[in-house]
Order: sequence, then structure tokens, then C-alpha cells
Amino acid sequence: MRPALALAGYAAAVAWGAPPPLALLTRRGVCARTGLAAWLAAMAGVLAAAVLAIQSLFRTVAADWPSLTRALCRSVAGGACSPAVYRGALYEGGVAALAALATAAAAAALWRYGRRTQRARARSRAHAEAAFLAGRALPGTGAVVLDDPRPAAYCVAGRPAAIVLTSGALAVLDPPQLAAVLAHERAHLAHRHHLLAMVTRGLAAAFPGVPLFTRGAAEVARLAEMAADDAAARVSGRPTVVAALLAIGTGTAVPAAAVAAPVPHGGLAAAAYAVPARVERMLRPPRPVSDTAFGLALAAVLTVLAAAPSLLAAFTG
Amino acid sequence: MRGRDQGSTGEGAGVRGFGELEAVVMDRVWERGGPVTVRELFDELRAERAIAYTTVMSTMDNLHRKGWLARDKDGKAYRYTAVASREEYSARLMREAMAGAGDTEAVLSHFVAQMDGCQARTLRAVLDRLTRDRPS
Repeated sequence: MRPALALAGYAAAVAWGAPPPLALLTRRGVCARTGLAAWLAAMAGVLAAAVLAIQSLFRTVAADWPSLTRALCRSVAGGACSPAVYRGALYEGGVAALAALATAAAAAALWRYGRRTQRARARSRAHAEAAFLAGRALPGTGAVVLDDPRPAAYCVAGRPAAIVLTSGALAVLDPPQLAAVLAHERAHLAHRHHLLAMVTRGLAAAFPGVPLFTRGAAEVARLAEMAADDAAARVSGRPTVVAALLAIGTGTAVPAAAVAAPVPHGGLAAAAYAVPARVERMLRPPRPVSDTAFGLALAAVLTVLAAAPSLLAAFTG
Repeated sequence: MRGRDQGSTGEGAGVRGFGELEAVVMDRVWERGGPVTVRELFDELRAERAIAYTTVMSTMDNLHRKGWLARDKDGKAYRYTAVASREEYSARLMREAMAGAGDTEAVLSHFVAQMDGCQARTLRAVLDRLTRDRPS
């Protein structure tokens, strides 16, 4: 019983307690990919701890069952049931009921997860396929263009995955900015971000009201955007990524000269919003020392989150 | 990938897989506007690329099965028409793409996510500041 309690306690503590500090650590998107990994490790750790806890409940029931039945038989045969036997039976019955309840809850969560991800996969594939048929190929890029005056660019998972641009987006992007957008979307696909989005949204649907999963899905999406921005910046340079973000975000062409040089830091007051925060992040000059410290802290958190459940199971079991 | 990413680099370099051919067929059907038989489309495509009649037939049959083409029996042959225009499909896709993340279940990653008025104003202000500070 003790390992089950410890594991369940750990799962609950991380599921409710981890989101605020994790959000704080990953807020600015320093080392976006490590931050992404930390959120995912927390989620995986909670799921592993929950499964191990259920398993440990069943093990308790199975281990105590023979001695309980022996005691029951003896007391029935002797015609006298001692209070100790009653208490033992009550306890065992309780643990068995708890195990059954936990299993039922897990099965329900699994069903919700499966339904959500299956629908998401089907809808995504249908969307990608329709985009390939209804869109016009943009020569040499693998992307397709849909006629719509609103500027938009996105990728959607499918067989194959599609990168979709609107004619409105093409109208406001110059060629280097278009290359940055494509590099951003290709990074999503190359790093399987659509898979992460599907899994984390599935988990959010499976465990409604659990902050690690509900808030985590949004945070993972946010960090994936930042990781893709980094990939695009490696190809096109940060100013071009910023120009592309501003062009699509505001629907106006942004001359390259506007963001050609690093911008004096601060004063954008944008960190509260997702898209402006990405712009500010791209404009922020790197700070090697504090960035490295952030990265190390995140890596440490990541390691603890990933290792804790199995250590807990090993030491209490 | 059966995508057009390879196919589009060399125009007219042939057909790579059914996905590409499906797109080509839909292009032609939309361009013609009216009903078209497999034979008519095959004759049109054969002029530009090496292609078999049965390939065109099965592609159009696929598109019918997927709900993109409607068909009527006309004598021995089927006459195919597009179920909806390219613009209608585009509009449908954009509706799904522009819906908030909660409303659609398709997994899309937008380069710039949907913004509320406040976010859009902030972004606008950032752009104004950048262009003002750096007159070109």
C-alpha cells in the first residue's frame, strides 16, 4: 500500500504543483526545446507514476489475498470471527475497490484520449488532402496556396503533411520572409510538433481539470512555436523572422530595413501575449550567462521529473 | 512523401503518385467547368505527359469515392462534375483554419496564431515603433 500512496501522491503533486514553476521557467522561451522536453517529462512522469500506483495496488491485493482467505476460513471453521479478521477483510476489500475504481478511471481517460486523437488525426488528414487538391502548388517549395485575402500560413499533419499559405500572405511577404515562414513550418513538421500537439491535446481531453495537462497543452504549443522560430532564425536570421511575423500578424508588408539591426531591448511590453512575445523574443539580444543558467536549471528539472517515478517505485516497493 | 514538393520542381516531369494526379485532375475539371468523361480528360492529359487511360479512370473513380467528383451515367461512360468549386473548398478550409484552436479538432500550426484585438494592437504598435525608429 505504501508505494501506491507515494506514487499517487507524487503524481498529484506534479500534476497540480508543477505547472506554475514550469511556466515561470519556460515563460521567455529561453532554450525552448529543453523547456518543451521539461513539460513533456512532467506529463510522462505523472502518467508513469499513476500507472505504477495502480499496479502496486493490485500487487498489494494479490499478495495479501491468500493469508486473508486462510484467516477467514479458519475463523469460519472455528465458529468465531475475531475483530482482527474483520478489520483485515475490510481493509483488503477497500484496497481492491480502490484498485478497481482507479482502473475504471484510467480506462475512461484512455477512451477520451483515443477518441480525441483519432478525430484530430482524421480531421487533419482530411484538411491536408483537401489543401493539396484545392490549393495551387507554390513551385519549388512544396507548399500550397489557397485564395484568401486574409494573410495566414500554417502546416497541418497528414499523409503527406501540407504547408498552406494564403494568397493574402504571399502578398505581404518578400522572398526572404517567405523563406523564413517556410523554414518555420518545415521545422514544425521535421520536429514532429503536430504529434506533440495531438498527444498533449488528447491528454488535456483525457484529464479535464488537471492543470499539468490542460495548461501544459497550451504551453507545449507556445514553446513549439518558439522552437520553430529558432529554426527559422538559423536559416533566415532573426530580423527576417520578425519581419515575417509582423507582416502576417498585421497584414502589411514590412520592409527589411525596418528590422535590419538589433532593436534596443525593452519597452515592447509584449510578453503577456503569445505572438508579440515571440517578436520580442526574437528581438531580444542573447544573454549568454543567464541563458546558460536557465538551460541548466531546465535540464536539472527535466532530469528529476523524468527519473522520479521509477526511483520512487524502486525505493518504496 | 507523395507530395508536390518533388513534382513541382520539374514542371511536366511526369506524375508522381496518385495524390499529385488527383490534384491535376481536379485542376482540369475546375477549369472546364462542365461535365467531363474519362476519355476527354485522358486525351487532354495524354498530350502533355505519358499516362495510361486506366490511371486516369481510377484517379477519377477515387475522387468520386472521396466525394470530390459527382458522376452521371451517360450511355456507356460516366460524366464527372466537381461537387463544389475550388473557391468553396478554399473557403471551407480557411474556415476550419481560422477557427480558434478549441473549435477545430484538426491539428494546425499557424505561423501567427489567431489574435484578439489587444494582441493585434500590441503587434501593430511594435511594427509602428520599428518603422518609426528606422525610417528608410
